[in-house]
Amino acid sequence: MSTATATQTPVFSVSGLWKVFGPKPERIPADPELGALDPADLRARTGCTAAVRDVSFDVRKGEVFVVMGLSGSGKSTLVRCLTRLIEPTAGTIAIDGEDVRAMDKARLRELRRHRAAMVFQHFGLLPHRSVIDNVAYGLEIQGIGKAERRERAAEVVDKVGLAGMEHRRPAQLSGGQRQRVGLARALAVDPEVLLFDEPFSALDPLIRRDMQDEVARLHREEGRTMVFITHDLTEALKLGDRIALMRDGKVVQLGTPEEIVGSPADDYVREFVRDVPREQVMTARTAMRPAAPGEAAEGPAIAPEATVSEAIEAVARSGEPARVMAEGKCLGVVDHERLLGVVAGVAADTPAADTTDAVVAAGGRTAEATPVPQPAAPGKHRQATPPAPRTSPEDV
Amino acid sequence: MATLSVPTSARTAKPRVLKSRAAGKLLLLALVAAVLAPWAATRWPGAAWPHELTVSLAKPLASASNWIIDNRDSHPLFLYFFGYVSNAVVLCVRAVYLTLLAAGWTGVTALGALVAWRVAGARLAAGTAIALLTCGALGMWVPTMQTLALMVVAVLASVAVGALLGLAAGLSDRLDRALRPVLDTMQVLPAFAYLLPVVLVFGIGVPAAVLATVVYAAPPMARLTALGLRGADPEVLEAVESLGATRRQRLLTARIPLARGELLLGLNQTIMMALSMAVIASVIGAGGLGDRVYQALASVDVGQALAAGIPIVLLAIVLDRVTGAAGSAKPAGTGQTPSRTVGWPYALAVTVAVALVTRLLGRLDWPSGLTLDIAEPVDHAVDWMTGHLYSGVPVVGGTADWAGHFTTWALDPVRSGLQWLPWWSVLLIVAALAWSIGTWRSASTAVLAMAAIGVLGVWGPALDTLSQVLAAVAVTLVLGFATGIAAARSDRVERALRPVLDVFQTMPQFVYLIPVVALFGVGRAPAVAAAVVYALPAVVRITTQGLRQVDPAALESARSLGATGRQQLWQVQLPLARRSLLLALNQGVVLVLAVVIIGGLVGGGALGYNVAFGLAQGDLATGLVAGAAIVCLGLMLDRVTQPTERRAKKGA
Repeated sequence: MSTATATQTPVFSVSGLWKVFGPKPERIPADPELGALDPADLRARTGCTAAVRDVSFDVRKGEVFVVMGLSGSGKSTLVRCLTRLIEPTAGTIAIDGEDVRAMDKARLRELRRHRAAMVFQHFGLLPHRSVIDNVAYGLEIQGIGKAERRERAAEVVDKVGLAGMEHRRPAQLSGGQRQRVGLARALAVDPEVLLFDEPFSALDPLIRRDMQDEVARLHREEGRTMVFITHDLTEALKLGDRIALMRDGKVVQLGTPEEIVGSPADDYVREFVRDVPREQVMTARTAMRPAAPGEAAEGPAIAPEATVSEAIEAVARSGEPARVMAEGKCLGVVDHERLLGVVAGVAADTPAADTTDAVVAAGGRTAEATPVPQPAAPGKHRQATPPAPRTSPEDV
Repeated sequence: MATLSVPTSARTAKPRVLKSRAAGKLLLLALVAAVLAPWAATRWPGAAWPHELTVSLAKPLASASNWIIDNRDSHPLFLYFFGYVSNAVVLCVRAVYLTLLAAGWTGVTALGALVAWRVAGARLAAGTAIALLTCGALGMWVPTMQTLALMVVAVLASVAVGALLGLAAGLSDRLDRALRPVLDTMQVLPAFAYLLPVVLVFGIGVPAAVLATVVYAAPPMARLTALGLRGADPEVLEAVESLGATRRQRLLTARIPLARGELLLGLNQTIMMALSMAVIASVIGAGGLGDRVYQALASVDVGQALAAGIPIVLLAIVLDRVTGAAGSAKPAGTGQTPSRTVGWPYALAVTVAVALVTRLLGRLDWPSGLTLDIAEPVDHAVDWMTGHLYSGVPVVGGTADWAGHFTTWALDPVRSGLQWLPWWSVLLIVAALAWSIGTWRSASTAVLAMAAIGVLGVWGPALDTLSQVLAAVAVTLVLGFATGIAAARSDRVERALRPVLDVFQTMPQFVYLIPVVALFGVGRAPAVAAAVVYALPAVVRITTQGLRQVDPAALESARSLGATGRQQLWQVQLPLARRSLLLALNQGVVLVLAVVIIGGLVGGGALGYNVAFGLAQGDLATGLVAGAAIVCLGLMLDRVTQPTERRAKKGA
């Protein structure tokens, strides 16, 4: 499976992407000296703001790709560049290998109508239309007849759990319900990839969690590719198969949640993930060490994808090291020392032989060795809803 | 440490810079004055605008108007353009008028009530029916229909023109930038100023009246359409775009529906402005209710004026409430939608049926037995008032005494004071005021406008008008701020005031002349009184809103520090509501000017009288010059009182 996805064309392939706001923006990406300036200097020198700076990444088919950063880090601009709601300044974007920046108007409309649908932070619903007509709106734009589009919309309305509210207006719905409408509208056109722009940050915490579960469920059921923008680390860790962490328009680290938490690329990321309960993100695969002779035969067995917190439980119950087993083979063992080391964040110095601590620096690609989580798979039993980090991203 | 010190020093420096800038402005002005004033004073001595600096437009204007009159039937421009426009207007108004008459009083009442019912519910339907029947009962059915016919045509044309302009301005930034100042300025000019240019081209009559109405009533529609299209929630538009909508789809399915509220508000404002103008346009041959009021006022026949004035007020209230209800009604759940659409054919059918029945019964005209003549009792009442209240009432004095005192003690001193001031000092004062409140641009506009008045050769009458405006604004502000503060501080006062303000704000300017003539007779004082009454509601309302919108947290913190009510008012509410207060001043000035000008019809004299005189005597040159001076005065007053922020926040 993982080899299969690796050879497939990525859904989105972005490389060297720039978005600069201000007068004569083209000169900034073209001039390496200007491009290297920090935001304040750049603004002082040129009057321009670089919202996205030389960003490259691939979104693979079926994964949830999270772009995470604080407000002003350029993540929302980035997602809008993907379908050219904001025109990029430089770089290339390809969807299924097709150059998005070279598309003419009609082709671009086609892309927006059928291939990528977006869910917005403030929903962007049409207040004068009922729920069903809002959901059917994308189909209406495509020119689909009323009866058919209503029928298809009704199915999607059911799917997102809004049955019975078809004829309400957005104003009569709660925030969570409105975002379900926004989600249904995007789903109704059956897009290849769903783009989420901070979809849940306007919602109350409890409803936010419901909606996150909803998205996780949809992803589990349909395996649709998703690009998810958020400023909430918890949300990113919970939903993301891979996370790109942005700061000042640049990607400072790109990797699985475990890589981000376990091997922060720099002090910024480290500070960011400091309060994350590591035992709920890190897996036994990271924590294990090679089995000493004799150890491979006995002790409780756990899967390599099991979280450290599950491993701790297993070790605590049995009182002896647990074996990390995959397909009947023992990959290694975790003992209380290793587990405590992971929780304390001091274990990274002696990684086990075959773990993949492929830490990727700014803008780089992940090493091919990074395990690609299967759509429905391991990430999801990190049921982690860790308590919110003490330094909540918004007030940093 | 170094990084910290930079912002602090910048912050402390700022007020000093600002202060020095304001002082700098005045210093610069003083310097210019010191150089120019002695020179001007020696060169053209005397207080009035020097004769050498005027350009007499009387001759060219008279010859232009003569040329138009001579060529109206022969020149191709008239034959193939204005002629068609004029004929089309006459035809349309006539067609609507005949239809209304053919529907008979029962048909029109039924139609009005049913439309009100569909749009605004049962209560307003009953109100509409009663209002229309009252019009009939006062013996004003035919004039009411004349006014309605003119209104229907004018409103349709205004909405079409306004919506198109607004659409263009909503979609194109460049057009928006070009149109906005024009529309803003049109909004502040007194209605009277629009009459003469139209008369010049079309002559006195229905076409001129309709076109003047359209020119006056279209700007709010255009402004609000553009505003609505531009104000659409950007995230909704982005969402619509993200789904791959074409420009056309975006306009039709998102932008226009999202602008519904503004469009309906625009319709409401256009209708109200059209009614106001349709009544004033009686001066140029509109006929109908306004004409009755005009004729009655000309002979100081308050009873007749009231009989025609009441239907105007009723029409205004009904039209305002019904269109307002249409605008504020949120599109409810779909449950109601079908019955709404189904209701219309029924309503139409009922109307036709009622009209047919009346026709068959031969009772199309208002039954003469049902007419209630209020003119005579009102005249009696006015006579009694004249006899008993005009003067000599013990202690308080009579109304005429008040008017006389006001004229002697307020209007005359202000006028002679203004006329005593050398002309260049008036310009300087205008410049200083406008510059200290606004920008150099608004200041130069104001000075140029004021100078243009002098050049036009109507310096004297313009100062006369200005003195009335100043007196009226002073009275309005004192009353308005006091009432506004009271209403802002007490919910009970506000609740009591609200219906009064609602009614007063919907009444056309012209109507205000009737009661003041009854109370004060004719002259400058009644004109000022009418202006005060007209401008007061807007000033009160803006003041109240401004004070109420003051950040409650600021008030709460003042209270928590133990501020007394008076301290809260002076130290928190008034300073924070400064912008609203300036807006109230600006609105007050604009509204007062509009009515002071119309006051020319009841002895207010000055520019308004010149316009009325020009129209009555066919002396268009005098009227046009006065009209131009009114435009200049309006511009000047608006710019002098226009705070810089207003442009940005001006919305509704």
